[in-house]
Formats: sequence, C-alpha cells, structure tokens
Amino acid sequence: MSVVATKPIVSTEGAPRGLDARVIIMPCVLLLLGAYFGWSEPAFFGARNLSNLAIELSLTAVLALGMLLIILPGHIDLSVGSGAGLLGGAAAVLIFKLGWPAPAALAVVTLAALVLWLAMGTLIVTQRVPAFIVTLGGLLIFRGLHWYVINNGTIPVVRGGETNLFSLLTTYNLPPLAGLLLAGVVIAVMAIAAFASFKRLRGAGVAVDGELSFLRTFVTAQVILLFVLSCNAYQGVPIAAVILGVVATFVQVLTRDTPYGRYLYAIGGNEEAAVVSGVPVTRVVIAAFGMIGLVTALTGFLQTAYAGASTTTVGTNLELDAIAACVIGGTSLKGGRGTVGGVLMGALIVTALINGMTLLSYGPEAKNIIRGAILAAAVWADVRFGKR
Amino acid sequence: MNTSEPILSADALIKRFSGVVALKGVSFDLRPGEVHAICGENGAGKSTLIKLLGGIHPAGTYEGEVRVDGKPVQFYNSRDAENAGIAVIYQELALVPELTVAENIFLGVEPRRFGGLAIDWPKAYRDAAKLLSQFKLNIPADARVNDLGIGYRQLVEIAKALGKKSRVLILDEPTAALTEQEVDVLLDIIRDLRARGIAIVYISHKLDEVFAIADRITVLRDGASVASLAASETSKDDVIRRMVGREIADLFPRRASHPGDVLLSIRDLSVESAARKPLLHDISLDVRAGEVLGIGGLMGAGRTELLMHVFGALGRRTAGTVTLDGKPLSARHTPSESIDRGLVLISEDRKRYGLVLDRSIGFNMSLSSLPAVTNGPGALGIVNVPAEAERSRGVFKSLRVKAPGLETIVGGLSGGNQQKVVIGKSLLTDPRVVLLDEPTRGIDVGAKIEVYELINELTAQGRAVVLVSSELPELMGMSDRIVMLSQGHITGEFTREEATQEKLLAAAMADKLTPVETGIA
Repeated sequence: MSVVATKPIVSTEGAPRGLDARVIIMPCVLLLLGAYFGWSEPAFFGARNLSNLAIELSLTAVLALGMLLIILPGHIDLSVGSGAGLLGGAAAVLIFKLGWPAPAALAVVTLAALVLWLAMGTLIVTQRVPAFIVTLGGLLIFRGLHWYVINNGTIPVVRGGETNLFSLLTTYNLPPLAGLLLAGVVIAVMAIAAFASFKRLRGAGVAVDGELSFLRTFVTAQVILLFVLSCNAYQGVPIAAVILGVVATFVQVLTRDTPYGRYLYAIGGNEEAAVVSGVPVTRVVIAAFGMIGLVTALTGFLQTAYAGASTTTVGTNLELDAIAACVIGGTSLKGGRGTVGGVLMGALIVTALINGMTLLSYGPEAKNIIRGAILAAAVWADVRFGKR
Repeated sequence: MNTSEPILSADALIKRFSGVVALKGVSFDLRPGEVHAICGENGAGKSTLIKLLGGIHPAGTYEGEVRVDGKPVQFYNSRDAENAGIAVIYQELALVPELTVAENIFLGVEPRRFGGLAIDWPKAYRDAAKLLSQFKLNIPADARVNDLGIGYRQLVEIAKALGKKSRVLILDEPTAALTEQEVDVLLDIIRDLRARGIAIVYISHKLDEVFAIADRITVLRDGASVASLAASETSKDDVIRRMVGREIADLFPRRASHPGDVLLSIRDLSVESAARKPLLHDISLDVRAGEVLGIGGLMGAGRTELLMHVFGALGRRTAGTVTLDGKPLSARHTPSESIDRGLVLISEDRKRYGLVLDRSIGFNMSLSSLPAVTNGPGALGIVNVPAEAERSRGVFKSLRVKAPGLETIVGGLSGGNQQKVVIGKSLLTDPRVVLLDEPTRGIDVGAKIEVYELINELTAQGRAVVLVSSELPELMGMSDRIVMLSQGHITGEFTREEATQEKLLAAAMADKLTPVETGIA
C-alpha cells in the first residue's frame, strides 16, 4: 500500500496512549459538576470542603485502583466493601479492646488480608469458580464476620482523647512547607522522567508525540500545585492524599511499564492466547488478588479512621463506588482495557458527585437515583463514543 | 458456459479504511449457475470485497456500485444481503458453540408450531438431519458444535447457509481447515449446487481446488481486479503470476538438511483429555536439530493434541516421557516453562491461541519474551521500550509484515500478516524446537513460500521444526521425515524419499474411521 498515514501514531507497545473521546468528555463532565455545585453552594470550593473532598477521593480512588488490577484481567471483586469494613473493624478491636499498639494491629490485619485474598484468588484461578461468585460469597461472609467482630457495636479507632497511627490516617495533614516541598520534588521527578523517557524513545525511533507528553506533564504539575496550595489554605495536605499518590504511582508503573502489567492486559484481551504465549496466568491473577487484598486493608483503615470508629455501616457499597469509578473512567468490564488516569478521573467524578449532593443536602433517595443514572450514562457514552 | 445476465455484479468498488485504500477499483460479475473463484495474495482485498458484498461494510462507506439482477442495491447490514439471496460464509465461523448442530442451522429461523408460539424442535432436528444427509455429512444433528472439530464446524456453517435457500453463496477459504477427503466432499456439494443454478463465489488460496471447481477466475492484486479469466483458458502458473506480479520458481523450496543431535524425544507417550477420554497412546518419536519432522493424519487423528500436549497446554499424561535437549519435561509443565526451555508452539487457531486481537503488533510480538527486554526483577522489572521496539522492528521487517508499523492493531490485519505476527512472537523467544500447527492455513501462495523459506532458515540455524499439515503436498514438500497418526497413535513413518501420497493416505486411514468419531473431540 502506497497511501499510508504520514502522521506519527501516538502509541507505544504498552497501554494505549492515544487520545479518544473519553479524554475530552470526562473533564467536561467534571467541569459541569463543579460549575453546578459551585454555583449552588459556594462552600463547595471552600478550602475546608476541598480538603474533605481530597480525603474522600483518596478513600474511593485507592480502592478503585486496586479494582483496576482485578478488572484488567477480566475478573471482579465484590467483597472489597464488606472486607474493608471487616479489616478496619478487626484493627479497631485489636487496639481498643485488646490494647494492641496501632502499628502492630495494622500490620497483622494487613497480613491477614493478604492471606484471605490470595486464598480467594487461588480458588478463582485454579478451581475455576467465577470471581463474581467467590467474591459475592466473600461479601456476605466478611459482612457477617465484621458485625460479629464488633459485636454490632461502635468500636473507636483510638482510646479516648489520644491519637495513634490509625486515627492519624485521615486526620494528619502535612505542614504547609512540607506539602510545597513534596509537590516540588514530585513535579521535578515527573518532569525529568517524562523528558528522559521522551528522549530515549525518540532516540530509538519510537513514534511519540512530544507536545502531548509535555502537555500531560504540564497539566499534571498544575493540578498538583493547585491542590497543595488549596489544601494549605485550610490545614495542609491530608496524609490520605499522599497515600493515594503513592498507590497511584505504583499502579501506574505496574500497569504501564512492567511485564506484569502487559500480562494483565493480555489476559483480559485473550486469556487462551496469553497461556499459549507463556504468560504465567495463574500466578499473575492470584498476585492481582493479593494486591487488592492489601488495598482493601488500606481502604478499611482509611474508611474506619475517617468514620472515627468501626460501625456496621462502614464499608457498605464501597465495591460499587470502586467499580463505578473504573467503568466511568473507561475500564472495560470484559477486561483488557483501562488506565490509571481514567480510574482517577472516574473516582473524582464519583466523589465530587457524592460530596456535592451531600453539601446541597440531597436526600439518600435522590443520591442513589442520580448515582445510578450517571453510571449507566457513563457506560452508554463509552459504548457509543469510545473508540473500539 | 452460461452467458445469461449476471445475478450479482460489482462495478469499480473503492473502499478506504482511515487513510489506507483496501479496494481501489474492483469489478466483477457473477452469473447464475457458475462457480467464480477470486484469487489474490494477503491484503489483496478479497476479505474486504466479500464483506462489502455481504453487507458488513454498509452502503455509503464505499464508492462504486453493487447490482443484483441488474438493479443497483444498497446493503446496510448482513440481513439485507441475505434477503437479496446472498449468503456469505466467512473464515471466522459464526456458530454458537454451546448449541447443537440443528439449533445452529435454524438459529433465528426456527420452525414454529402451535400457531407460532413454540419452536417445533422435532421438525428442526428432522430437517437438519435431512439437510446434513443431503450433503453426505455424517454429523448427528444433536451434536453440540463445541464437540466438533473445526473442519466439521465449517461444513455445518455451509449447511446453515444452504438452509436459507440462498441464490448466491460466497465461500471465504472454505477448505482452509479441511482434510483432502473432506475437500472432495465439499467440491462435490458445490458441483451439485451449481447444477441447481446457485451461483458461487469461491475464495481460496488452494489453486488445485480453484481449477478443479471454478468456471471463471478473477485475480485481485493490491486492491484492484487485474484479470477475469475463463478457467479453461488459463493455468495455475498464469494465475500465480498475475497474483504476485512476478514468477515463482518453486512452491516447496525445502533445502537439504544435516540433522544433528536429538533435541526433542518422545517415548511411549499416552495422553487423555481432562474428561479422561484417551487422546494419544504409545507415541514415540525423535526430532533432531536442523530437521523438519512432518506429522500428518486425518482430522481428529491427534496431531494438534500431540503438539499441544508436548507444549504443556493440553491433556493429562498417563504414561511415557517427553525429553527436551536431554532433560525431561515434567508431565505437568506449563507453556511458560516450555518457552523458557526453548520450545514454542504456533497454533493452528491463531485468533484463539495466538493473538490479543485488540492490541498492537508490538504488544503481541513481545508477549512471549518480555523478560529479555526488562531491567530488574522478572515480571516486576521495567520494560526497556526502546530495546523492545528495536528488537520487534527487526522481526517485523524480516518477516515482511504488511502494516503501517508496530503500533497497528492486530485485529485489522489480513490472515497472513496475523500469522506473521504469531511467528514473530515465537521467534523472539529464540526457540530450539518450533512446533508449527498448520502454519500456512488460510494464507496465500506468496506468504506460504515465505513461511517455507523461514522453516529452511530455522533448520539451517540448527533449530528443529515439527510441522503438522493437512495438505499432503506441503507435508511431502517440506518434511525430512513424516510420521502419520491415526486415532491417536503412529501408523507409519517415512523418509522424504519413501513418501508418496498413496502411502501417506494408507497410513492415515490405517484404522477404519468414521468422520463422527474423528470429528468429535
């Protein structure tokens, strides 16, 4: 064929980097939401609410990023919400009732979560029980265990008037200077890494779009800086946001730059071909479940700390928010498609929506209906406008 | 020859896909009661043309005119084409594997009873059985399609199209998966249909078949129709010349080999399926460095099962040993261990076992060998993208994959180019033994010869090749030794010099088989 597009195609061998409709649509949806809530209730953009929003985003996004690792190879985990409730509750009981030091309690519970989720993953992969069923069972079992462990009561995360590692997860804020310094370091590292990668790829003759990669870095840097400045206007950057940053960076590198990430996409795209290509499918998927177990423990700690105590309702429906964030962010439930950036954007939409509706004192009826409608609309838009 | 009005004709068709011109002026016409073959290399535009005629590429997305009975028509979907009496059987079969043969044949057009309230299943099964027996297909109407081999599925698909009483039947590579025996059955069916006045468009890379069946031949090259010839007035060489635009000296360019040490050794191997049905028994064979071992047999003889088991992707070993390079491969080894040890498999079913279709060429090519271009600990290291791209680009060029670049999505490539991507992926693992299962299935003459040249290159580098093929000329032309399988065991072994079509066929049919037994896995 002599007629070939001469424009370089923006993409490398890893996750797709091409622009598609979603990249335009999602920020627009977000802007509309922001405009509506900001206009109806100016406090939406107040420093205090933005700080709350940051914490709530962190809680949702951390779990959604874990969910991405499960959905990419074509599985699902419904047990993370009640699991988070159970794990947070177990840690609270160890500390409040048994008097364990917080770090020890959190470490032991994290380890237990890892074991539980590795076991579920093994059941799913080696015994071929669908993940939907195994984790649906997990959802009910964990909820029952949670209520049993806290005896249907209210277990605070810390004894009266003190603070500990557990309670600080959602109450500690970085001092303003530390926040700025951290932002500076992160932006510098990001810019250097992006430039080095661009130079290396260009040198090797891989088609890359320099302007796009610059724009991406520039926008991200702006967002980080703006975020830190607005947090500093209230009490400083919440530690939960820093945790989200660490988790997001980890999942981003994992999915984009490692063979493990390629394997996740390959398994979701065509599992049989992945097996025959020598991808260690069993190990890869079990490891993904191990990781979501760790993320669930982290979410459980964050959620319980944010509530101040473990109660029977902590964790309820979190799995749905996580899945919604993934799907709104363009992750395919069939597997094989989805990115960290999309999931973060999806989580932001989900969180801003809930936060805004709470601020405007919507009733739970309206909240549920609107959340459901947005989820269905997002999937419809993806099917209709997304590139196939 | 029939010279009546064309039943279907295409005039100056042009079709573009985002900047790439797939068809740049294709014209042809089809008369009632003729078999019209369309020949062309990979990417010549054959698939695009029939998708256009079958309504998959809807009217308005192409230029030019399609006419049925002389009147211009616009097909917006495959139902429109079917209503006009045009049935297309695509290379990718469209059967529902979980349903039975009869359920598939009548899918969407089930006979009704009780005033249309219920499906008349007894009638459906009776009619399906009648249809199948009419075409001499010894397949029970109540067999699940899942349990049929791929060749039988093809025949079911043809029966399904015929059940719709089509006037025009378009067959895309109908014999790609069939054994010679089944091809004869199919050609008989086609002659029968022609005698009844049905017009047939026959797309095949197998020129022997084309000349056995076609009345006229249209040759496509680079998206344009370059000639429409009466079959009686042309020759195979002439058609090949027009297809490739150059002379091809030798169809099977196997070079003399100098076998070295035994690389793969199989002793007394018996294997059963996960459902404990015996698949293979008492297989012993050796493959040496620099050698091509051909494996032949009828469908269901156990050829694919043997390769898949040795590779670690199928069945439970009940007895015997498999030794690679002097060291045993355990009974429960995985494909990933095989690849680490230097054994790769190129599957006959590349879409199922070979490719992640919605990913790029580069993604697919690297999938088996990422650790080699990764800095750091195993699967969690960082892929060195420039090194990876350079390596893939080398294979991309040496295999002459026809695509804009490594970023191109694999799903849109032609069959031959997809096969090259699968082969490229295997080569990047630097294998010592290459298991090739029907490597030239559904690809054209030019690409076939490239695959044969590649086999020569592999053996010249001291690698061993195991070649499974349903085409006896290919098996005899490319193998140094040939082993024939029948019902899961070896029924004959021949050197290149000893082998004749008669001897191989006799060995392939050493056990009296009925198609049902061989077709159902």
